[in-house]
Amino acid sequence: MSAPRNTFLPRFAIAALVGAALVALADANLNPYLLSIIQFIGLNIILAVSLNVTNGFIGLFSLGHPAFMTVGGYVAAILVIPPERKAALLPDLPAFLAAQEWSFLPALIAGGSVAALVALIVGFPVLRLRGHYLAVATLGLIFIVQSFAVNLRGVTRGALGLSGLPELTNLWWVYLFCLVTIYVCWQLKHSSLGRTMLAIRENELAASCLGVKVARMRILSFVLGAFLAGIAGGLWVHLVTLISPSSFSFILAFEIVVMVVLGGTGSITGAVLVAVVLSVLTQLLRPVEEAANLFGASQMIVAFVVLVVLITRPKGLFGTAEPDLVGWLLRPFRKSKAA
Amino acid sequence: MQNTMKRLALAAVTSLSAAFALPALAQDINIAALYNVSSGGLTSLDVPSLQGAQLKAKMINDAGGLLGGRKIVVTAIDTKNDTGETATAAKRAVSMQGLVAGIGQSDTTFALAAAPLFQTAKIPFVTSGATSPDLPGMVGDEMFLVPFGDDVQAHAMAEYAYNTLGIKTVAVWTDNAMDYTTGLSKYFKERFTALGGKVLIEDVYTTTDQDFSAQVARLQSTEGVGALFASSGPDTAGIIIKQVREAGLKLPIFAGDGFDTDLIVTVPGKELSDNVYFTTHAYVGLDTGPANEFRTAYKKEYGKDPENAFAALGYDTMGLVADAITRAGSTDPVAVTKALAETQKYDAVTGTIAYPAGKRVPSKPVAIMHVEKGTVKLDTTVTPKG
Amino acid sequence: MNGAYLLSQVANGLILGSMYALIAIGFSMIYGIVRLINFAHGDIFTIGAFATLASIAVIQAPFPVVLAIVLVVGAAVGLLIERAAFRPMRGAPQVTGFIASLAVSIIIENLAVLTVSAQPRTFAVPAYLNRLIPLGGLNVRMIDIAIVLLAIILMIALVLFVRFTKIGVAMRATAENYDVARLMGININRMIGIAFAIGSALAAVAGLMWGTKYGQISPLMGVLPGLKAFVAAVIGGVGSITGAVLGGYVLGMAEVLFVGLLPPEYSGYRNAFVFGALILVLLVMPNGILGRSTEQRA
Repeated sequence: MSAPRNTFLPRFAIAALVGAALVALADANLNPYLLSIIQFIGLNIILAVSLNVTNGFIGLFSLGHPAFMTVGGYVAAILVIPPERKAALLPDLPAFLAAQEWSFLPALIAGGSVAALVALIVGFPVLRLRGHYLAVATLGLIFIVQSFAVNLRGVTRGALGLSGLPELTNLWWVYLFCLVTIYVCWQLKHSSLGRTMLAIRENELAASCLGVKVARMRILSFVLGAFLAGIAGGLWVHLVTLISPSSFSFILAFEIVVMVVLGGTGSITGAVLVAVVLSVLTQLLRPVEEAANLFGASQMIVAFVVLVVLITRPKGLFGTAEPDLVGWLLRPFRKSKAA
Repeated sequence: MQNTMKRLALAAVTSLSAAFALPALAQDINIAALYNVSSGGLTSLDVPSLQGAQLKAKMINDAGGLLGGRKIVVTAIDTKNDTGETATAAKRAVSMQGLVAGIGQSDTTFALAAAPLFQTAKIPFVTSGATSPDLPGMVGDEMFLVPFGDDVQAHAMAEYAYNTLGIKTVAVWTDNAMDYTTGLSKYFKERFTALGGKVLIEDVYTTTDQDFSAQVARLQSTEGVGALFASSGPDTAGIIIKQVREAGLKLPIFAGDGFDTDLIVTVPGKELSDNVYFTTHAYVGLDTGPANEFRTAYKKEYGKDPENAFAALGYDTMGLVADAITRAGSTDPVAVTKALAETQKYDAVTGTIAYPAGKRVPSKPVAIMHVEKGTVKLDTTVTPKG
Repeated sequence: MNGAYLLSQVANGLILGSMYALIAIGFSMIYGIVRLINFAHGDIFTIGAFATLASIAVIQAPFPVVLAIVLVVGAAVGLLIERAAFRPMRGAPQVTGFIASLAVSIIIENLAVLTVSAQPRTFAVPAYLNRLIPLGGLNVRMIDIAIVLLAIILMIALVLFVRFTKIGVAMRATAENYDVARLMGININRMIGIAFAIGSALAAVAGLMWGTKYGQISPLMGVLPGLKAFVAAVIGGVGSITGAVLGGYVLGMAEVLFVGLLPPEYSGYRNAFVFGALILVLLVMPNGILGRSTEQRA
């Protein structure tokens, strides 16, 4: 079952090193298109694992990730664009923004922070809602953020979006933030804070009777998820080289939620695995779709798989458990040693 | 479970290695065509453009290819009416081995999503239908336009409205979700007011809107509006005509080349599609050699007349790129860019293309079309001065 | 701003509201019985529009026949979805059904893109529906009057059905208390099926209206009206049929007046306004205007 905490760090370090070697290998050998596909997979991992904090650990059903990605993406993009290009692209930008030219990492973190701030402000009223109602309110948040992005033309260039952004995101950045996200979420889940969150999910009344500040915990998890989503938004924007109000739609919310639910709400390993499998599946189906001229078939197949899994395994693939993947991968070697 | 995972991993590895082996024969001349072919109103412009481009490539190949028998291979990539998909498609295109040039897109917003990636990769991108005159300035020296700029067509419309039709007051509706429509409105208002006309009301909407009842009511309640300038892409073109006419408003409707789609007749129906004027790329009335050749070839290949001017633009784009490759004598993108920039006189279906002195937007004739009871007819052709 | 202008905007709100109300009823009925927010509901609206296109263009059916076909197609698709996707996962957590409905929605949309292509399509409406009728200083089209009247007739019929027939009583009992209703010998599956069939048929009729009014339909047309109708259902009080009707009209009217009365530069905030209103209503009146407090929402 779930790996004991004391074995986590060494395993994580081994996995991180192996991953870094693979990243170096890929970076040196693959063409930019294949690299960008791998980066999209990495972004999906960040998104799924971070949404898991809200939806999995504490059991708040939020669909708001695309809204936070939009916020994070715009903030990072506006801070990074050099002033001379801003003058052409965004002539009406307020002077204090027009003069900024940040480097990538601070801009990403600023994007995440603003997204977290939005989550904090929105969270106070919205997190009072439950279940379906929270889901729909956060869905509404996507449309509201979109509306603002369309209409605050001086800052966002409206529905036209900001294009021709520098290609700053590379595999190393995505890999770094994948590691950070997984590490933070894993440590959170196995800390007393994380246990408290799980307790709220299992029985809110009992938890609050034991003195847990339920409202505060909810906001905390919502804000953490939003921060990571904001960073993912900034990375996405500088990978695709543009952002528009429709870049992050509620279809994306659906895709991320599916990763969390199929992996088992609360299971980080599950979220990572399903994020990888679903992204690879979509990419594999794409050439088939183009060759057969059946545009839309890939989305349909993925949705169909989701239905089948929901019917046959309503708790997701792993529930809340963290299967010991490193051990599983190493097992054949141990066996051969023994033999 | 474990078996499934092993199989999945195996499948992933196999397909990745398949993706590596993207074939690119040294003999072929690779051109990537980025168009929205599967969704959105832009398909009614993009599909004819792509067909036009493929037709021209086929004709060149049938006539023996380029540079001593090398064949043109057009790889069409669907950009799915989504700017993110467009940028990803551009990334995929520039990763192709031996790509000579990229072509495509009928809308400025989409061209802006793709072209900067070609610019970074130092490969020319020639748009067949995006019309913002600011494009080369915003993207860089790899960006070329085959159509005229929006300033030219909006000015032509404004002059035609004021001088020929005697319209002195207009209402302007703008789709503020497209670069094309916002630019078009700007140029139209600029010229119309300079001539002495007045813009009485302005209204905005977005591409996905379907209900214009509020805007129509506002138009109805404004006194003395002589005509409506609807700066719209193909998505809303037909709906606007329908809803304005259904409210009993008979005033003339003016528009740009975003109206060059059959949706302006099919959506409102023949009866309501009336008293509409729009500008588009000239070819319909032209009786030149290239225009007649194009019409015959298109009909023979696809069994129907060209849907609109965008078919001709796609055809011209492929022709221009092929001409540049021949003049460059090479498939090196740098040499092709240089040859494109030096284009002095390419006789295209939609008029002569020349890029004088670093300007990568051609000055071409504008056709003003008149729709009467569902029949689209050429009214006049305006050739811009200078 | 004059009286005629205001009046024509109110008429527009009424028409939009009629369509929202018809879609919202289905949301409410289904939610009332199975506690499921069915996101595929907006796609049934789309299917209704395409069924209209097919029956007009392919078999040239007269309008009343088209209406009947659309009702039947809507009900059949609703039943099919319930049987194939939702029944197998009944009893699973609420969220599971919600995601399943999103998956169904994506399947329908892409199936539509694959079969009829994503290009917007148009259909010819019989000429008599387009006739202008002067009505107290306003020029109203026949179709507008037909939409409002048809919506009202269907809604009255539904209310009578639910209130006075045996099945209607059984449905209300099921909505009141699922388990007790089952113990009383009510065939729950049948009740759920009926709710899906009726709700979907009404949404399909709304699709017919939307297509005839705006003249252009596409596979993704149902997404936004579907979501907004859901907002209408929440405003009116989810689970209540009259609430859904009221919510539909309130939302349609508010949306049109928002665009019509404020200066044009604000009309871009149309969707933000709708969803902002949703969040506000949820916080201030968690049970909506007519909903009864049966469970905790906030």
